[in-house]
Amino acid sequence: MKTALLPPELLRRLEQIQLLAARRAKSTARGERRSRARGVSVEFADYRNYVVGDDLRHLDWNLFGRLDRLFLKLYEEERELPVRIFLDASESMNFGTPRKFDFARQVAAAMGYVALCGFDRVSFHVFPDPQAQDSQALIAYNQQMAVRGALRSVRGKKSAMQFFTNITALTSGGAADFNAALKRGALEARQTGVAVVLSDFLDPNGYEAGLTALVGRGFQVHAVQLLAPEELEPSAFGDLRLIDAETGAQQEVTFGKYRLKAYQQSVASFIQRLREYCQPRGIQFFSVSSATDLSDLLLKQLKESEVWS
Amino acid sequence: MNFLAPLGFAFAAALPVVVVFYLLKRKRVVRLVPSTLLWQRFLAESQASAPFQRLRHNWLLLLQLLLLSLVVLALARPYFTGQASTAALQVVVLDNSASMQTTDESPSRFEKARAEALQLVEGLNTRNGQQMILLVAGAGAEVKQSATSDKASLRRALQTASVTDTPSRLVEALRVAESLTQNNPQAEIHLFSDGAVMGLEEFEARDLRLTYHQVGVRAQNAGIVSLDVKASPEDPSKRAIFTSVANFSSTPLESTLELLLDGRLLEAKAATVGPTNTVPVVFVAQQASNGVFTVRLSATDDLSADNQASVVSLLPEPAQVLLVSKGNRFLEKALAASSPHIEVSKAADFADPAAKVDLVVLDDVIPSAWPSGNVLAIHVVQTNWFESPISAQENPAIVDWKNTHPLLRFVSFDSVQVAQSLAVKTPSWAVSLVDSPSSPLVIAGELGRQRIVWIGFDTLQSTWPLRISFPIFIANVVDWLNPASARADQFMVRAGDPFRFPLEGEVANARITSPDLTQTELELGPNTRELVFGGTRRQGTYNVVAGTNAFAFCVNLLDAQESNTQPRSSLNIGRFKEIQQTTSKPANLEYWRWFALAGVAVMMVEWWWFHRRTA
Repeated sequence: MKTALLPPELLRRLEQIQLLAARRAKSTARGERRSRARGVSVEFADYRNYVVGDDLRHLDWNLFGRLDRLFLKLYEEERELPVRIFLDASESMNFGTPRKFDFARQVAAAMGYVALCGFDRVSFHVFPDPQAQDSQALIAYNQQMAVRGALRSVRGKKSAMQFFTNITALTSGGAADFNAALKRGALEARQTGVAVVLSDFLDPNGYEAGLTALVGRGFQVHAVQLLAPEELEPSAFGDLRLIDAETGAQQEVTFGKYRLKAYQQSVASFIQRLREYCQPRGIQFFSVSSATDLSDLLLKQLKESEVWS
Repeated sequence: MNFLAPLGFAFAAALPVVVVFYLLKRKRVVRLVPSTLLWQRFLAESQASAPFQRLRHNWLLLLQLLLLSLVVLALARPYFTGQASTAALQVVVLDNSASMQTTDESPSRFEKARAEALQLVEGLNTRNGQQMILLVAGAGAEVKQSATSDKASLRRALQTASVTDTPSRLVEALRVAESLTQNNPQAEIHLFSDGAVMGLEEFEARDLRLTYHQVGVRAQNAGIVSLDVKASPEDPSKRAIFTSVANFSSTPLESTLELLLDGRLLEAKAATVGPTNTVPVVFVAQQASNGVFTVRLSATDDLSADNQASVVSLLPEPAQVLLVSKGNRFLEKALAASSPHIEVSKAADFADPAAKVDLVVLDDVIPSAWPSGNVLAIHVVQTNWFESPISAQENPAIVDWKNTHPLLRFVSFDSVQVAQSLAVKTPSWAVSLVDSPSSPLVIAGELGRQRIVWIGFDTLQSTWPLRISFPIFIANVVDWLNPASARADQFMVRAGDPFRFPLEGEVANARITSPDLTQTELELGPNTRELVFGGTRRQGTYNVVAGTNAFAFCVNLLDAQESNTQPRSSLNIGRFKEIQQTTSKPANLEYWRWFALAGVAVMMVEWWWFHRRTA
């Protein structure tokens, strides 16, 4: 399989990985995950008394021989694990070298691919919705909406190619409402599962409500914060007028090299606050630069954090 | 601080301009950032640059205002009026006499003068090659520091200068200072003194550029101004101690005067002295052996150096007097009555110089051999006494006599006529006591170790023997020429004067213990016949051990002029010149360089600060 998003070697490695779920799958669709539902599989679960109409194939004849009573053998039903990927496609993700959004797409593609390989359903929630200002943009808007629609529910490894194509076609722009997007995703989900949030978390309204909504809905949340190298170590000094790419708000600062440390401290404390918010809520949190080696993140950091095995 | 160019302050108008610049909006580089969330910490201060809003604390603004202020100050050319001077050479004369110990200035006049002199040192412009010489003047002048621009050396020299108990003899110091400055039109002399100085009238200064820095604020002092010990006139077996207490303040003095013999209190008398008055006090005491009488004044005044004086009292020894005369009844009677401790013998001629006599009176007789001891010579001349030829004069009128000399104590020459006299010129070894218009009539002095009193006329050819002053004079002469009294005299010296003591036999070394118990060892050569000790700067009793001799001598201030601590605001130098006290001397020592330098420093700090912020 070939895609511009992920190198073939990485894809091959990803195929051997399986997403770990802390909880049993609650999906109604059959899959390869253990669930509390009883159904058809090879995993014995329990016995129950035979009632008329039960499938005779599941009677335990050995027991009948010994006890002269009819018992039915019950098996664990294997269900799918819904994996929801929340991808921040706001204007702020367009920054950085390499671009944060590109990196986020790669991570999303990799996680999606792992899920597809494990016969899990992958749902993409790309926010914010694209805006159409004029008729020319309407075409792009329709295309984008189609792509996002196609990514709403993907299952099976055979869909991977189309899955990658659609991810590649995703665009970013506009101002995002992080909390609203996550809340909506949490409400829309009929079955809970794994939720992966890929964002820079730089929303003036905060991130707490959104993450709480996901956790409250019962999702096992993995939060991956993506920051551009320029954000971690800015290279612009002097008297600056900063324009917020998303909100357009202007702020004037005087910044010099001597304040770099203070800036880095404020970035570090922002990340620390986010981490401290996630930890007690059982959210796996990662903060990475968009210049990070992708395979290092996927095969090392996530593996070590037991996101997958 | 004054300003040479006050118009420079017009540039201060630039100060508000700087502030306006800070009020104006700064041009900024526009940057698009993903979010301003991470920049929140740096946003607050940017509010200051919003146009025409409240000005906030900004170090750059402060630094620039400071820089501009320094530049404006430098442009205004500030200078200080102080004690600084532009003279290329400054000679500082620091008075360290006894009166400078007066404590009316805190801690003392000397310390005040030293501090002022230090200020002058600090004002020295060494870069322009200004130099300074430091002289201290007490009983003599001492060059503490020769001409130098090195402030450290000058400071060190000033610190090592100390005050003494000696009277002021500023003339010598001024002469030294004058000789140092006379060929230098760029030189000036700075005198730090309280003006309690005598003898300046003798100093004729032609072109003395003297600045007088006066110290002292008041005269609150009483002191002992004279002290002498003699056999009591009423009871020759007792000793009479004559002293006088002077009060120089404007309030009456109630005090106690104590007499001590070898440190043992003998007697105390109440002394009441009116303002600016002097009161004589006489003690009479028994004395069994030679000792030191000390008189102590228990007065609380500003100067303590003159509140105590000591005198060595030697018991009188009988003196042998040989009168060589053709017959002079007046003289014989006067000699016989002069002292109970003398034996007078008469002779027509003196032929044996080795004869054991203490003093010889030659009355109009030329002896066969000239005596080597003390001599009273009446109308007789040994040719080597005088350098000039000897002539005669008729009816010389007595125009003046020196009644301050001990020989003329209580002696008056009113209505004394002289028929004929020898006419000589006063030799260098003697002083003239009685003068006629053209020649001295009585001279006295010390030639080598021989005391000589010379009377130029035959007393019988004058009306003097008929006057009461004649026996008194003879008594004074006998007392002065008596070797014992001469010896007693040498045991009392004025502070600052050298102590001299003739040595008999060979003495290898001498040890002198000062009143403050410091010891001085003097190495004496094999041929040394006289012990000379110059370290008599503090008053009190000094103990000397020289070979087998052990004795004490006393150093006293006993100087009414020095005890009068009234600060003088002007000094009369010579006959015509008066120097007024100076408190400040305008000097154009400019300080704009320092301000400019500080401005450069501030500019560098400002530059560094700016680049730290923005680089």
